[in-house]
Amino acid sequence: MTNRIPLTLKINGEEKTFLAAPEINLLRLLRDNYYWDVKCGCEEGECGTCTVLLDGVAVKSCLTLAHNCAGHEIWTNKGLGYNDEITAKLQAAFVECGSIQCGFCTPGMIVAAKHYLQQGGKADRQAIRKAISGNLCRCTGYKKIIDAIYKVAAELEGGGR
Amino acid sequence: MKNFTFIPAPDLKTALNILDREKEKAKPVAGATNIMVDIRDGKLNDKILVGIQDIKELRGVKFNRGKIYIGALTTISELADSLLLEKKAPALFQAAQVFADPIVRNSATVGGNIAYGSPAGDAVAALMGLKADVIVARKGGKRRIPIEEFHTGVNKNVMAANELIVAVEFAVNPHSAFYKLALRNSMAISQVTVAVSVRQDRAGKITDAVIALGAVAPKVVRAYSVEKAIIGKPFGDEVIAAIAPALKKDIKPIDDIRGSGEYRATVAPVLVKRVLAKACGVCLNEGRNAK
Repeated sequence: MTNRIPLTLKINGEEKTFLAAPEINLLRLLRDNYYWDVKCGCEEGECGTCTVLLDGVAVKSCLTLAHNCAGHEIWTNKGLGYNDEITAKLQAAFVECGSIQCGFCTPGMIVAAKHYLQQGGKADRQAIRKAISGNLCRCTGYKKIIDAIYKVAAELEGGGR
Repeated sequence: MKNFTFIPAPDLKTALNILDREKEKAKPVAGATNIMVDIRDGKLNDKILVGIQDIKELRGVKFNRGKIYIGALTTISELADSLLLEKKAPALFQAAQVFADPIVRNSATVGGNIAYGSPAGDAVAALMGLKADVIVARKGGKRRIPIEEFHTGVNKNVMAANELIVAVEFAVNPHSAFYKLALRNSMAISQVTVAVSVRQDRAGKITDAVIALGAVAPKVVRAYSVEKAIIGKPFGDEVIAAIAPALKKDIKPIDDIRGSGEYRATVAPVLVKRVLAKACGVCLNEGRNAK
């Protein structure tokens, strides 16, 4: 049996301790512990569906060494949906705009979009395309995903008017 | 075979002590964007992973007396957002804009790109175009290695097992530019990259030129023959005509999944011309596809 090392980190606001293999990536650590809203697509950084926030910054969890996250804070799409207004708006907009077909890319898309908006991203289709350029979707042709992010961005810019 | 262990290194001193003790066994890990893929593919085994991610002293971009100093753990995103680099080292700024994709850029570090030593490393090409020095530290000392002497082949470099890249440093040059040719915009491995920095006298004569190319040889290379051929002349038809024949001596592109060697050899001089023009502040006016 491989050696397992204790690892303490914060996931979706809760402090958690696991025993984890030294070389495990953050994606497997999360999925092994029932954070199934984080999807495993390619597990080599190409597809982006495993994107999570690490200390507020979007990263691909399959490319992140879990033990390097000790003491840091992880947020997944599901946790953000309950606790973060922007993410909740994005999730609703994805449903309203029909941005979800098979749904596999959705969690990564939403976390990437959340990071874009939290950095002050504008309602600018070209900039939105760039912001989600690390996330692959094989169903929608991206149009409706961009529509949804644009909608939320415009709403935030409007300041609730 | 796997057999890994993990040791966190909260500061540089601890990291260097671990490297000194474990030598070849130790593998420093920060952004991990290359390492995790190698572990998954079974290419990397039997290592002590040294978690250097949290070493704060190795982060950030500093400007002092005409030089830019970039800590090894600075992420590519930080470079892509740096107004300082946009003004003072456009080649590196532009390389950061097209490096992997926006999310990978949040993890990937400058030091990691250099240490990994891919012949298509975008940050390596840009830094070579700026004539950067790589600063490596070991327990009880530091040394500087010019980046063109750093790599010895694909994924190989001159560092000893107990050394760690701590920073890169280069003189600012606003007359620098970078271009990446690749099959798509995101997560693309370069087909050809070109980074150029020049100095010109008042009459517009090129007094100093540094030209680096990625993905056209087993490592990122300097185009010394081209540099020699163009120095002392202003950018113009004579310089343009000198590029292609000289470049043949500098590059050895191979066929791979991203393009044939013949294609690379054909486009490389065109890209050198365009990036050189950009660095010299000359508008080529070649039509809508000119970059």
